Amino acid sequence: MSEATSVETAPETPASEVAAVAEMPPAILARTLGDYVRGSVARVRGGDSGVLPVLLGLIVVAVAFQIANGKFLSPQNLVNLFEQSSIYMLLAMAEIFALLLGEIDLSVGLVMALSAVITAELVQPSGSNLPWWAAILVALLICCAIGAIQGTMVARLKMPSFIVTLGGLLVLEGVAIIVLGGTLVGIGNSQFNNEVVIYNIYLGHFSPLLSWIFLAVVAVLAGGAVWAADARRRRSGLVAPPASVTALKILVAAVAGVVVVAVCNVNRAHVGTINGLPYIIPIVGVVLVAWTILLQRTRFGRYVYAIGGNPEAARRAGVELRRVRTWGFVLASLTAGIAGVLFASWQVTLTTNIIKDANSYVLLAVAAAVIGGTSLFGGRGKTIHGVLGGLVIGGIYNGLYLIGVSAEWIDIAVALVLLSAGTIDVLSRRGAQGRV
Amino acid sequence: MALTENDALTAVPEAELAEVQADLTAARGSALADVPADVLAQTLGQYLRASWQRIRSGDSGILPVLLGLALVAIVFEVITPENAYLRPSNLIYIFGLSTVYMVLAMAETVVLLLGEIDLSIGAVALMGGAIAFKLVQHPKPDLPWWLAILISLVCCGLIGTLQGTLVSRLKIPSFVVTLGGYLLFTGILIIILGGADGFVSVSSTIPNQAVIFNLVQGDIDQTVSWVGLAVLIVIAGAVMWLRNAARRRSGLVAPPASLVAIRIVLLAVVGVVVVFICSQTFTPGVPEVIPIVLAILLLWTMGLQRTRFGRYIYAIGGNPEAARRAGVNLALVRTAAFALCSVTAGFGGILLGSFFFGQYSTNTADPGQVVLYAVAAAVIGGTSLFGGRGKAIHGVLGGLLIGGIAYGVSLLQLGQLSTPLTYILPGAVLLLAVLVDVLSRRGARTGSVSRV
Repeated sequence: MSEATSVETAPETPASEVAAVAEMPPAILARTLGDYVRGSVARVRGGDSGVLPVLLGLIVVAVAFQIANGKFLSPQNLVNLFEQSSIYMLLAMAEIFALLLGEIDLSVGLVMALSAVITAELVQPSGSNLPWWAAILVALLICCAIGAIQGTMVARLKMPSFIVTLGGLLVLEGVAIIVLGGTLVGIGNSQFNNEVVIYNIYLGHFSPLLSWIFLAVVAVLAGGAVWAADARRRRSGLVAPPASVTALKILVAAVAGVVVVAVCNVNRAHVGTINGLPYIIPIVGVVLVAWTILLQRTRFGRYVYAIGGNPEAARRAGVELRRVRTWGFVLASLTAGIAGVLFASWQVTLTTNIIKDANSYVLLAVAAAVIGGTSLFGGRGKTIHGVLGGLVIGGIYNGLYLIGVSAEWIDIAVALVLLSAGTIDVLSRRGAQGRV
Repeated sequence: MALTENDALTAVPEAELAEVQADLTAARGSALADVPADVLAQTLGQYLRASWQRIRSGDSGILPVLLGLALVAIVFEVITPENAYLRPSNLIYIFGLSTVYMVLAMAETVVLLLGEIDLSIGAVALMGGAIAFKLVQHPKPDLPWWLAILISLVCCGLIGTLQGTLVSRLKIPSFVVTLGGYLLFTGILIIILGGADGFVSVSSTIPNQAVIFNLVQGDIDQTVSWVGLAVLIVIAGAVMWLRNAARRRSGLVAPPASLVAIRIVLLAVVGVVVVFICSQTFTPGVPEVIPIVLAILLLWTMGLQRTRFGRYIYAIGGNPEAARRAGVNLALVRTAAFALCSVTAGFGGILLGSFFFGQYSTNTADPGQVVLYAVAAAVIGGTSLFGGRGKAIHGVLGGLLIGGIAYGVSLLQLGQLSTPLTYILPGAVLLLAVLVDVLSRRGARTGSVSRV
């Protein structure tokens, strides 16, 4: 009897091992560069295309607009394009926290507007006249509190996130107008130091020399960290990419950095000289790296993906659903708040109409995340998707504006891109999930 | 040995049989419990008791929104300067203001019932309105008003069909499709209007355009109003009475006769009150928009409650897989629902232009705001976001509540606070409505999907 059972169970172990091996992406198991490339190609062909569609989309946008207007890929316009896209990028990164959990946050546009109004009001010399860092801190803390309230309603009271954040955006619209007080609040490039700091966040930049030094420091630190991490994995006998792949990744990133700084160091002023790395590039970069590490390398991030993939399974595995969900909404609002500080710096003058318009940003943020490759059904997506999707939307706005197309056609173009991104997403994943 | 084996063999089926029988009775018991007690009521007393029980068990229907409307009316009447809120002319203005929310909320309800969402109806509505207005412009194209409205509604229907096809056949999430549609049709709306400063209007002096101008602004003659009300009550009363009598004759479950009589009397009283209020204004007569909204409400109520199409919509919203196995053509019903939603929204857009005295510009309304208010109106009225639960009347009552709050706030003369409050109050009411809904359904056996 015992013999029979052992015979029966024996073949099972290899079978499950095979299955486990088959489910591992071949790119992870690769031992050489050739293996790695072959594994990546196989993964893309298998339907898991990752950031590839959005990269192709970016290339199409770049080529098409370059042909239509030779200025599109000029260094001046590329910096301009990135500046225009930065708000979409940050809001999309905010939205991704909600989307990964299988929820939606419709309030990010107005959290952004409220954060902008609070920051601008607090640095007014005639008003509370707080130091710039304190103003930003207060604005971000208020945004976190808003996220905590909305997250609690979703996670503990189990109200649908769609409705909670829809109600939230209506309330926040009113609150932002109340905080605004009068008809407008402005941030001048004046003699008041605190206002100037806020003013410079969007338009300010390093000097060309400092840009190169900054790049060198970042490249050494980041490259060293990546190399050390991969080396440690290899030493410990864990699965790690081959050394050649690690070196190649660092090299590509360094070359990309050199190109970015070189482009930014070209004079982009019509009159006088404006050159150097704009502050917003490191700002967006810091948010991207921080949220990528949080989502990919921490227990919290794994829980977010687990809940998005299958809430019931996550609950049974002992994940505190309510806490993780609440924190997801807090982080979304916090990121939207960071976008708000940039928004204040970009708009310079905030009015009631600008607050009302902020609402339309949420739809573009969702569009950017989806175009970037984040799923609307939860559990699939990365922070980088928000950056790339935001760049596509910014590129379309910028390019159509350059060739003199009016605003309504730009809306239509963004709509068509969103629809095709959704279609590609659904078609490429057909059969992966059953929907009746 | 053999005997025990035999015993075991017979014993097992018997036990199973007992279990099956127990299960059967359980199923029968639960089936009985599933039929609302008020449906089975034979006398008025039974009916009232059963309704009360149903409300206490969490299925409160339109009661919360009716209470909300009463609360809004009383509060604003007390706090507005000179207690002006409930003046007849104000009540009529509130109805006109709420029209677009009521009609769009009815449109959205159909899609919400499927468990989907349509974010494009604000843009589709404005586009439909702009198309109809453009087509009756005087020298060219000067189409008759009915043809203009028809063409506009057909355009909206095609848009809805297109979006519905993308959702139901390509299986792209409705959120993404209609989000794209919102951007797309906002752009097309501006093109139709002729650029960002575009403008189109209809005049009340040109007979062909006046028909569209008067949809909301026009009044029905005083005498015609009373006669029309009388005819309406007689017809509605006769239909209700005869249908119930027929049901009772055929031995089907039917509400008690006293209840039907009370309903007819209630209908007549409400009708008389409405017509009386309308006769007390500066320009006496019932506004045309009231019968128009009632007609849309009647059409959607019949469509959802009395047709096979309506039953399929509730079935899909309740459980798509079960509906599919029961032989429902999911793709067809879903596409049709999106198409009809867009048609209703397009008509709402025409009414919106008429409410703004025949003016249509890019500043008439923000399509994003309109759609959010429409969803809010449907949910405040009692429609579920998860599909399968809701009625057309919910949209009407929810829309009235939102319009009522918006107008009340504007009467308060709060200066700088009045704009923010028009946003904060509907948001707060929406959150409150859902909170009440969620809390009242906690632990309820039936209803929306259980969420981890």
